[in-house]
Amino acid sequence: MVGRALRTFAVATWLGWQIQSNWTDPLLFFIYSVARPLGGTLILVFMFFVVAGGRRGEMLDFFVVGAAFWPLVVFAMQGVAWALLEDREHFKTIRYVYTSPIPFWAYLVGRGFALAAVGTSATLITIAVGILVLHVPFVLPLDRIPYLLAAFVLGIAGLLAVGMILAGAIFLVSGEAWRLPDAVGQALYLVCGAVFPITVLPDWLEPLARIIPITYWLEAMRRGLLPPGGVRSLPGMGDGAVLAALALLTAAAAVVAAVVYAAGLTRARQKGILDAATGY
Amino acid sequence: MTTSTMPLPAAAPLRRTWYAVKGRSYPRTVGGLREPSWIFYDIALPLLGVAAFVYVYRALGAPPHFTGYVIMGGATIAFWLNVMWLMAAQFYWEKHQGNLELYMMAPCGLVAILLGMAFGGLLATTLRAAVVIAAGVFLFNMDFTVSSWPLFLLLFALGLVALYGLGMFFSSLFLLWGREAWHTVQLLQEPVYLVSGFYFPVRALGPWVGMAASVIPITLALDGLRQVMFPAVHPGLLPLAWEVAGLAALAVLFTLLALWMLQFMERLAKQEGRLSFRW
Repeated sequence: MVGRALRTFAVATWLGWQIQSNWTDPLLFFIYSVARPLGGTLILVFMFFVVAGGRRGEMLDFFVVGAAFWPLVVFAMQGVAWALLEDREHFKTIRYVYTSPIPFWAYLVGRGFALAAVGTSATLITIAVGILVLHVPFVLPLDRIPYLLAAFVLGIAGLLAVGMILAGAIFLVSGEAWRLPDAVGQALYLVCGAVFPITVLPDWLEPLARIIPITYWLEAMRRGLLPPGGVRSLPGMGDGAVLAALALLTAAAAVVAAVVYAAGLTRARQKGILDAATGY
Repeated sequence: MTTSTMPLPAAAPLRRTWYAVKGRSYPRTVGGLREPSWIFYDIALPLLGVAAFVYVYRALGAPPHFTGYVIMGGATIAFWLNVMWLMAAQFYWEKHQGNLELYMMAPCGLVAILLGMAFGGLLATTLRAAVVIAAGVFLFNMDFTVSSWPLFLLLFALGLVALYGLGMFFSSLFLLWGREAWHTVQLLQEPVYLVSGFYFPVRALGPWVGMAASVIPITLALDGLRQVMFPAVHPGLLPLAWEVAGLAALAVLFTLLALWMLQFMERLAKQEGRLSFRW
């Protein structure tokens, strides 16, 4: 069972990569992969400099790390949902994939992981621009690498779990399902401290930010990559507590994802709408 | 039994165009009301993105009029996305649904179809932009004073004509393209938001970058509207009269260019056999 899931994951990752990249040549694909995220980062940079009058500041460092890792959020989480939507609505292959002898969830996770790999190039380019052009003081002491690696792996797992929750909902959503991944992405952009500390949010919204694993993931990446004493989304928590909260919330998200995915899939099969294309 | 067929009377060209415009705008107006979930996605969704950028300026301790910049940018995004997704890239979706061939066979021409898309989409888009501005006023206390309503309306109208002309121009490219269309529209989002100054004054990019970006009609329209709405504080890219003249020139240029390109690309797509090429 595990071996089959791993094989499915690997093949789905390869398939996802092909779907994403084989529409053009590698250079154009690379430009395409980094242009949007880099554009998003530069918007924040110019917003910062317009207000700061050209001077640097710690908020700029906060922006750059958040903007660098945001493509992974978008690609990994939305990748799972897009895979389901594309197969159902666009390529109309969902019935063939679903009836093949593979775990369908592993297939979706693999497709999402392929997009996360695409997002990684944007992350690396943004960090490079941060170091070389914006002089963001990235630090990478050896003793912080395990912390960063643990946070990174947990973060990707959390993102894929959120993507599976979304897929569970999309099984049952018709009509405007294409817009759901974007809607969730925009909501997370607002509440997860992607580009501003969650302490800026209204009091009624901040508790929501504190139960989403992505908030802790972005915070952990900032704590791992930037020097101590900078702007923080969760100023009252230590580094270990942030990582522990990330682990706990990722595990919770995985459990919720398993339940929502299974419930959505079962209900869609009962209603006979698993492969019902709803138009776009 | 034999049946006699009587040819339908030919409608006058203008009337035919009007029928086509009305017919293509129908699914986006009347048809849209049958699936009201778009109201949530088209109104709540952009508000979330706009709110995020408002909070960015608040985290930076920016003066209040920066909130106005974000709100205006957020409202304008509605028009850009409408033109790019529901006009320029629409022919790509029409290929998938098998409608494009029907459009080509209909005796109205593609321009009437595109005008129908534009008018149909304009209603929802204007509503979306209005709600973003209303939310800016009521939720984020956006403060603005329109210094001249005639100038505001002129800039808005010229900007729309130029923008939809650009949309028609792009749609001609998508007659030829397959999957590239979707990716190209994706590519024309954040980079365009950056160079057109959706969230900050475009002048911050420098005068030459700002001038180069003015080839996108939304750059001049947005800068002009901000000059009219925040006259005391907004650092304009060009004097207002120049921006009005520039927008008028772009409106004429893109409309003519679109008409020529549609004919050219239609012929090319037929010659290369890519008109119904789905992938």
